[in-house]
Amino acid sequence: MNSRKLKDKISSRLMLSATVFACLLFFVMLLGLFGKASPILSVVPIDDLLFSKDWSPMAGKFGFYPFIVGTFWVTGLAVIIAVPISLLSSIYLSEYAGNRLRETVKPLIDLLAGIPSVVYGLWGVLVVVPFIKNTLAPILGAETIGGYSVLAGGIVLSIMVFPVIISITTEVLKTVSTDLREVSLSVGATQWQTIKYVVLRKSSPGIFAAIVLGFSRAFGETMAVLMVVGNVAKIPSSVFDPAYPMPALIANTYGEMMSLPFYDSVIMLAALFLLLVVLIFNVLARMVLVKMERSVV
Amino acid sequence: MSDTHINIQDFNTYYSGHQALKNISVDIPKNQITAIIGPSGCGKSTLLKCMNRLIDLTDGATCSGKILIDGEDIFDKKTDITDIRKKMGLLAQKPTPLPMSIYENVAYGPRIHGTRKKSKLDAVVEKYLTMVGLWEEVKDRLDSPASKLSIGQQQRLCLARGLAVEPEIILCDEPTSALDPLSSQHIEEQLLRLKKDYTIVIVTHNIHQAMRLADYVVHLYLGELVEHGLASEVFENPKEERTRAYIDGTFFTDLAIDKEINLKGNVCPYNFVYAKQALHTLEKDDVLRIIVDYPTAVTEVPRGMETDGHNVIRVKQINESDWEIIIQKK
Repeated sequence: MNSRKLKDKISSRLMLSATVFACLLFFVMLLGLFGKASPILSVVPIDDLLFSKDWSPMAGKFGFYPFIVGTFWVTGLAVIIAVPISLLSSIYLSEYAGNRLRETVKPLIDLLAGIPSVVYGLWGVLVVVPFIKNTLAPILGAETIGGYSVLAGGIVLSIMVFPVIISITTEVLKTVSTDLREVSLSVGATQWQTIKYVVLRKSSPGIFAAIVLGFSRAFGETMAVLMVVGNVAKIPSSVFDPAYPMPALIANTYGEMMSLPFYDSVIMLAALFLLLVVLIFNVLARMVLVKMERSVV
Repeated sequence: MSDTHINIQDFNTYYSGHQALKNISVDIPKNQITAIIGPSGCGKSTLLKCMNRLIDLTDGATCSGKILIDGEDIFDKKTDITDIRKKMGLLAQKPTPLPMSIYENVAYGPRIHGTRKKSKLDAVVEKYLTMVGLWEEVKDRLDSPASKLSIGQQQRLCLARGLAVEPEIILCDEPTSALDPLSSQHIEEQLLRLKKDYTIVIVTHNIHQAMRLADYVVHLYLGELVEHGLASEVFENPKEERTRAYIDGTFFTDLAIDKEINLKGNVCPYNFVYAKQALHTLEKDDVLRIIVDYPTAVTEVPRGMETDGHNVIRVKQINESDWEIIIQKK
């Protein structure tokens, strides 16, 4: 075998092993988390862990429920704030804006996705939290502990989710063929009617997938949320109450209370839970998007 | 000759610098079938898109001149474009059902324009599906998705959808080019039947179809209006040499190509020079086929060859980037 062929063979093998390594990592992490989480699972049944409200590690009581609820509150609020704004701006960008504006705005939105989350967190602490404490809560007559709340987390997170939803939705809307728009316009529909009845209808699975992907980014986001959400292990009763989402729990306490029996196992279980939920969201959303792309071709 | 329905005056269209239509002035008669013929890329579809101003959707397209429909200038700022479009049904090249049921497709237009009553919509749906000869085939599955229909049925559904807003004009952009012969025949029969109530404008590159259908013919070539007139006159006795060449040229089912050169990757004026050299080596009446991928060459090479007195038989886009130009040496 000549040296050129040998090189070709070696380099392809090398690339293959790098790829396999990257893919294996996910399974290694999954197995590792599961291995570490299994001690607590063998002692306490999983539904007790998930649905018990009692979180007192000192007493050996590990109820995840407040954290699960906290996570969903913050994520849900973020999505409620982010979806209308992102949808409207994607529709504007893909249907109304001219090429030049679109080409200018898109990189800006992508840039938003690249800002480190700790910067969003800082901005939340400096701007959003005081705004809630000094302006919003007094106006609405709500009580808040210094402004650190589900609402603050939701607002910060929603801004982090924008770029994901906007850029995917814009792509999805672009997959709707011009022919369809022309057909609708040609019977005398206005542009808005065309968007409402034809474009959005055709792209609704893709938009749904975009929202789910945004949701899964929000679900696992740790740093920015942790900085503004208050971190109190109680089920929030209003958006002005603090909450304690799961990623924040993991980041805050792992490595600190390791002397407690089962503690690290519980935290690993939380991590496993997060990983699985985000995985499921992602897989579902990608499946929808891939199906849409195929149907376009 | 009957009344004018669409009156086009000194009309020009530019696509970001490139002029696609040049000083077109033509009157399209009422309640007749007018065929716009010409080779691909000659501006036929552009002209059609200007008539219902779908050209507005194209980034960088600008128009000058006037198109009057019933005396109303459709490019006037005061004109409500949705009213104009409502007057014109569009039958696109590819059957394009909306992503909804068969029923909803036909009811779409009337709904948009404010018809809410179910009984009224039912009547409209039945009337127009019957008119295009689809009612018997689909009456039991009106609620199934339109995409489930065969391609030919889809195109008839699209025709029904266009008719349901009660237009005066039907614009057809190569409406049968995606269809099998039988479905094409169906559509052609519909159009012939419809012309007593509608003004029909059909863009076609199929000269036989134009002969079968048209009462009036408009021949465009490279954005210019070459000839227009009654179909019988234009087809039997064209006044313009280029029209004759086009009609004759497209009758050659398979042209005997004597020489073929590939000028892909060449820019102007090199492809022009190479084409000229190639023609020089040929005998009179020999046929040369050139492949180009440079946009300017698509218009300039044929023009130059014609100036030299040769006969350009066909200019046709053969794939995304390439065009074939077929020239007969004179």
